[in-house]
Amino acid sequence: MEEQMIQDFVHRASRDEELRKELASNPNAIITREGFSPRLARIIARLVPQLALDQSLEPSLYWWH
Amino acid sequence: MAKDVEPPVNPFAAHQLVLRERLYHLLATLHSALYADVAQALEGEGKLLSPSSTRLNPPDSQKPTFPAGVWPLLTLLVTQSISPGIDLLLVGNVAVAVECFVCALDLLDDVMDQDQTTTLQVLGTARTLNASLALLALSQKAILSLMQQDVAPSLILRLLEALQESTQVATAGQQRDLLAEQRPAQEFTREECIEIAAAKAGSIMRLACRLGALCAGADDALCEQFSEFGELLGIAHQLDNDCHDLYYLLQGSTSSLAPTEAGTSTRHVKSDLARGKKTLPIVLAAQMHNAALQKSSPPDDQEKEEYLRSLREGIVTTWGICLLYRERARDRLQEIETQKPVIPTLRLLLGFE
Repeated sequence: MEEQMIQDFVHRASRDEELRKELASNPNAIITREGFSPRLARIIARLVPQLALDQSLEPSLYWWH
Repeated sequence: MAKDVEPPVNPFAAHQLVLRERLYHLLATLHSALYADVAQALEGEGKLLSPSSTRLNPPDSQKPTFPAGVWPLLTLLVTQSISPGIDLLLVGNVAVAVECFVCALDLLDDVMDQDQTTTLQVLGTARTLNASLALLALSQKAILSLMQQDVAPSLILRLLEALQESTQVATAGQQRDLLAEQRPAQEFTREECIEIAAAKAGSIMRLACRLGALCAGADDALCEQFSEFGELLGIAHQLDNDCHDLYYLLQGSTSSLAPTEAGTSTRHVKSDLARGKKTLPIVLAAQMHNAALQKSSPPDDQEKEEYLRSLREGIVTTWGICLLYRERARDRLQEIETQKPVIPTLRLLLGFE
């Protein structure tokens, strides 16, 4: 289930410094290695700044109110 | 000297104008003693009659650009995507029924959550509840007014049926949300949180799309496709709100976020933590940090830090799941478009450019 895959990956990245370093240096390689579907790969790629680079959460979509 | 910056063109201005005209026509049927309160509610942030409904945010605004009255715009644009030549009077009445319905539920939600919105502050609880009731009646009246436009009674019944069904689902979702305040976060699952999001925001956005499709005379299959599309978008919307509300709270008042101090964590407009709301990021954080939540004694610094880390993890996971539902909605839209492309304005409204 895709929700569980996202949850598991975020949890691993949050607790595994080595994985975060790998994500920061070569996110595409990690995403390929994990074998995500194209849809999940797009989503995980958007999470990399928060997971690996400690950047702010993307702004709210605000496309709805 | 800096060059003058051209204000952004509002691509929805013409549609908003039509919808506002329809809404004022409907409001004119209200007793004068009630009119001001209902209009006040419909002038709230993001609502069709809000001052920003005729313009978009300035280019230097911190908030991303979005149009006011997005709910009725969605209904209108779904209808036009299926049936471009549709009578604007007809679809306009259906679209403002959606605006009144959503505004009514928003008022009830604000009262139940004790959010200090401008409308609640100005009207107080009793008048806010009465305005909500009036708006619910107006939403039905807007649909019933189609009888004067020679719309088939069977279609009017189907529209009312969809409205009634959405009311039942949304109130059930609200009830689960309220009852959840009394239960510990550890009892919840991710699936349950998403079910509640589907019943609340999901059912309302489902309604906005379904009424648009019904109004256009779409067959059952297409109506269902648009309904599912709306539900997916609604879930994404709810998760977006949940993770960003908590994120901004975390950024602004980190020290007050320890579990045992949640009840005193500011008078934030969306005081989900203080009310014990079981939003997805909070439930995920609880799953990851069970022990800290169960303790009755004040947490030490290390435990606080661990809890904050769990919250951050819950926020990022929720953001990822929000994006997943957006992707699912996009996929559903592509399925719909195998039959016929939707109009560009609808894509623009949804951010699916």
